[in-house]
Amino acid sequence: MRTFKLLVVGAGAAGISAALAAWDAGCRDVLLLDRAESMGGILPQCLHEGFGLTTFGQELTGPEYTARLAEKLAGTGVVFLPGTEVLSVSEERIAVLSRRGAVERLRFERLILASGCRERSIGSLPVAGTRPAGIFTAGQAQERINLRHQDLGDEILILGSGDLGMIMARRFTLGGKHVIAVLEQAVQYGGMARNHRRCIEAFSIPLRCRMTVREIHGEGRIRGVTAEHIDSGEREFIACDTLVTALGLIPERELVRGLEDRDWLSLVGNCHHVHDIVDSAAAEAARIGSLVGKRLAV
Amino acid sequence: MKMERFDVVVIGGGLPGCFSARELSRLKLEIVLLEAREDVCTGVSRANTAVVYPGHDHKPGTLKAEMTVRANASFDRLCEELDVPFSRCGSLMLSFGPRSDAALRKKLRQGRENGVPGLRLLSADEAYRLEPTIASGLSSALYASTAGTVNPWQLGIAACENAVQNGVRLRLNTRVIAMRRENDDYLLETDHGALQARAVVNCAGLAADRVQGLLFPPAVRIVPTAGDYLVLDRNSVGKPTHILQVEPEEGEKGLTVVPTVEGSLLLGPTERENALDYATTENGLAWVREQAAHLLPGLALDGTIRSFAAVRPNPQRQDGSSIHSFCIEHPAERFWSLIGIKTPGLTCARELGAFLARRLAEELAAEENAGFDPVRRGIRRAHGLPFEERKALAERDPDYGEIVCFCEDVTKAEVLEAVRRGAVTVDGVKRRVGTGMGRCQGARCEQKIAALIAEALGVPESAVRKDGPGSEIVRAAHENV
Repeated sequence: MRTFKLLVVGAGAAGISAALAAWDAGCRDVLLLDRAESMGGILPQCLHEGFGLTTFGQELTGPEYTARLAEKLAGTGVVFLPGTEVLSVSEERIAVLSRRGAVERLRFERLILASGCRERSIGSLPVAGTRPAGIFTAGQAQERINLRHQDLGDEILILGSGDLGMIMARRFTLGGKHVIAVLEQAVQYGGMARNHRRCIEAFSIPLRCRMTVREIHGEGRIRGVTAEHIDSGEREFIACDTLVTALGLIPERELVRGLEDRDWLSLVGNCHHVHDIVDSAAAEAARIGSLVGKRLAV
Repeated sequence: MKMERFDVVVIGGGLPGCFSARELSRLKLEIVLLEAREDVCTGVSRANTAVVYPGHDHKPGTLKAEMTVRANASFDRLCEELDVPFSRCGSLMLSFGPRSDAALRKKLRQGRENGVPGLRLLSADEAYRLEPTIASGLSSALYASTAGTVNPWQLGIAACENAVQNGVRLRLNTRVIAMRRENDDYLLETDHGALQARAVVNCAGLAADRVQGLLFPPAVRIVPTAGDYLVLDRNSVGKPTHILQVEPEEGEKGLTVVPTVEGSLLLGPTERENALDYATTENGLAWVREQAAHLLPGLALDGTIRSFAAVRPNPQRQDGSSIHSFCIEHPAERFWSLIGIKTPGLTCARELGAFLARRLAEELAAEENAGFDPVRRGIRRAHGLPFEERKALAERDPDYGEIVCFCEDVTKAEVLEAVRRGAVTVDGVKRRVGTGMGRCQGARCEQKIAALIAEALGVPESAVRKDGPGSEIVRAAHENV
């Protein structure tokens, strides 16, 4: 059984930063792994600028930010294992890994979990109606458009004005699509002011607050929703062929369920709590990575 | 053109049709199973309460009572033969007052008369010991140790695969348009050509009355009713371990709660008339949430991952009165219709198929098919295997190491096998290997699965559908750019 002093699960900005910091603090036995085939987590699909002002002193795109981290990582002896899913982690500090052609057990001293978030799905809301094709989470839409170059639809309705919702409103608009509106149940947009300015105002995309979706219509493909003005209770049918949901992020910690309070485990980045910007997730991860690294230093 | 001729044509690839075909394949007969959609088990069989009933709900002497008790007793063996997970978790019928206490006592008497084993009337204390999640105020409970749950579409697909294995021809995307009698045969016109058969078994689900009406006026018509359900994540706090059925003190319907074989929790259903499609309603979903909060106060409803609607083929006489039995019509020799197969249709699917097979064996003077093999092997699942086995599997077939669905731990090998076995849609894969059924509801695997289907079938990803006609997920425009 292979043994590593430090196992870092998730090679997004947080995971890479934690692994780097641990190495710099003197831990010379670090395995960093990710279920994806390449590193960066969510960053590779974020083609827009706006990352790294704090860390690198300039605004980078997601792939550029990843490249900077990857470059730093290449200068260390951190072992990176892509395409690897962690099936389980046990009390005995043994992780079971699965990747193409191999399932293995691995022993570790400490674990840094940097598994990010998952997106809240529409199924979690009490939204009635059918379950047709044409409903995407914002992150899923972003991946399909930016990495798979797919065409998702023409008439786009976005539910939720968190950062991801607003960024996708701009992305669809830049792709020549018609964003009918961004619906938001709160009194104002949910994400950062910067994204509201750059993504919504700059493109004159209608942001309709105090509104939500009550029912989905369409048999094979979505053809519209019943939306409600929350204060008046008034309803309207909004036709669309694509619904993009930006309903919020849930820290992904299923892997360590029941083990959260173990002293060998640290949670960093968005699986710890949802950060507004990558820099802050990376900074938090680096701080914790450094502390963990010092304890494991030779 | 020479017309294809079969001994039996089975119309409809839901649970009754799949099991009719499977049970008929025990006989030396040429059988074809027609399904209008691109896959089997996409209608009534796709969405229901998933309960294998013990048999105390039905009046003694009725077909439903008799079949349910028999079916329940042999369900372990059936699921073993078909390699389908079955959980005999037991059920508690719950009473919160005197009227329901009396109803439970009646069900106990009825159950005993029907020969249901393992029934026990429990005091509130005894019931709380079995199921501490139930809200206070319980008056009594009827425990049925033989109640269980099975995944309905897994069972149907397994029956279909077993039927095909035993020689049944499966014709998908084939809708019956017209029927007539010619000499001694039935002649069926479909949207993919005509065929001839000595016997017809009509299991067309919601359309079974119309299909019979193509040739014989049905005595029964189907008035669909619908019901809404919620699904909670397997990690939800406060989940019960038994099937719970509330016997309502007032009103007509109580909540049913099912801890599914997948580990999720199923809550529902509501009941409403004039169901036109598989759309849930706001009122229905609100009712389920409200009832669930009352019944299971410790249950974290924020673990909800999905809601869906079921449509049931409710049978009525032509005068509009309801029918509570299975309707097995036999309007002419060698023509059988199963019309209005709803609860306990899942429990009794095999029994219904066996019933028809016995009748047709006589009518067609069919011999036994000595080569019939009742055993079907399911898709080998990586999840849950002991470490060494899983390791060996991944080394033998590298695809078994690649995880496609993270929530439900499904590998690429399983997805590809699902496609090999007939899945052509994302939901078709889901119904075979459980992808997308977890907490992210496919957000992270839908694209990968669509790409795998596209590659395996040699079509562009834009041709891959979610489920059924018109449900293509992406457009063709940007492909090959």
